[in-house]
Amino acid sequence: MIDADRIDGYATALFEVARVEGSLDEVEDELFRFARTLEGNDELRTVLTDDAVPAERRRGVVDELLGNRASPVTTNLVALVVGAGRAKDLPAIIDRLVRRAAAAHDREVAEVRSAVPLDDDQRARLATALGQATGKEVEVKVIIDPSVLGGLVAQVGDTVIDGSVRNKLDQLRETIR
Amino acid sequence: MRIRRAGAAAALVFVTLSAATGVASAVEGAPAPPAEGGAPAPPAEEIDHAAEECIHLLEGGGSIDDCQEAPNPILPETNELIWGTISFLVLFALLAKMAFPSLKKSMDARSDKIRDSLEEAERVRTEAEGVLAGYQRQLAEAKEESGRIMDEARQSADSVKADLLARAESEAEEQRRRNAEQIAAEKDRVMSELQSQVAVLAIEMAERVVESNLDRDANMRLIENYINAVGNGAGAGAGAGAGAGAGAGAAAGAGAGRPGDGAGSPA
Repeated sequence: MIDADRIDGYATALFEVARVEGSLDEVEDELFRFARTLEGNDELRTVLTDDAVPAERRRGVVDELLGNRASPVTTNLVALVVGAGRAKDLPAIIDRLVRRAAAAHDREVAEVRSAVPLDDDQRARLATALGQATGKEVEVKVIIDPSVLGGLVAQVGDTVIDGSVRNKLDQLRETIR
Repeated sequence: MRIRRAGAAAALVFVTLSAATGVASAVEGAPAPPAEGGAPAPPAEEIDHAAEECIHLLEGGGSIDDCQEAPNPILPETNELIWGTISFLVLFALLAKMAFPSLKKSMDARSDKIRDSLEEAERVRTEAEGVLAGYQRQLAEAKEESGRIMDEARQSADSVKADLLARAESEAEEQRRRNAEQIAAEKDRVMSELQSQVAVLAIEMAERVVESNLDRDANMRLIENYINAVGNGAGAGAGAGAGAGAGAGAAAGAGAGRPGDGAGSPA
């Protein structure tokens, strides 16, 4: 409960900073992608969550990683959380921030995993299709995940719509067994 | 007491016989001729008696040879007969009075003893015969019992043998059945495992084929199909959770068909 409150507190703080800076959508998207990168990279997660590594060094790693790839607001927010020793909670904090931002726009976040990036047109049509399927206003967050092989996997709340080649191969494996 | 009486009777008989013998000797010694060379002369009474007999013979017309006639070697003298008879009677009376009762009593006791012994022997023999008959009966019964026991044992052994054979046969049948079941189960397990391994290998091969042949264009077609399927499925499901699931199934079906196309197109 204490962790949940702390995560919620960090998420609220980051959300307000991004909103005040006027770049909420951009920061939100960059933070979302950084969270997914952090979840999928054990080495990066180990370095950022190791208390033995000085906070200054961890912030330096964040600057090196995001300095040229993300906005200064995003970099500073990530460095803030990592410097505070909460890197292991960063994915949960960012997910809370994303849901909060979507809720602010009266929208639901749809985590979409794809082996290849989607262009803006595909994102828009996918958001429309998922909105029609779930009956909600949907904000699409794309995660590049080569393990899906092909197709897409979308999760909106507790609903998962899996159209990936990986899922089909798994179903085929279970059928053959 | 009996021994003492028997001893007394024997002493009495000895004394009586000695007295009789002495009388007889005295009678026999009377007519003996005087010994030559100065032997003592016979008594005068005996000479007179012989002379009187000779005189009596001569007066009866006999000759002197008749006076010299030797006594009869078989028939004893009259006086000897008299004295012998008297001695016999006395002796018989004494014996009848004193010795015969104890002898009779002893003989009766001996007879009783012998009779008792015979009766005891008879009783013992009868008892022994009874015991022997009992033993023979017991032996016969024992033989009969042993025969019956042997028969029962033989029957029991036959029964046990039959039971054991039946049980062994049943167990062998059960073992054969279990073995067959185990073989079948093992066969099924191996076949299932083999099928599973074949499935895994087939899926791995399919994944490799898909990975190597699923280019960007094919992936884009899959994504477009997914978007279209989700949109169409949502319209059919009216936006409910079930409708979302149906959309997923449709999308999966579309996506699964495309990889095959994508894999085949480069070839």
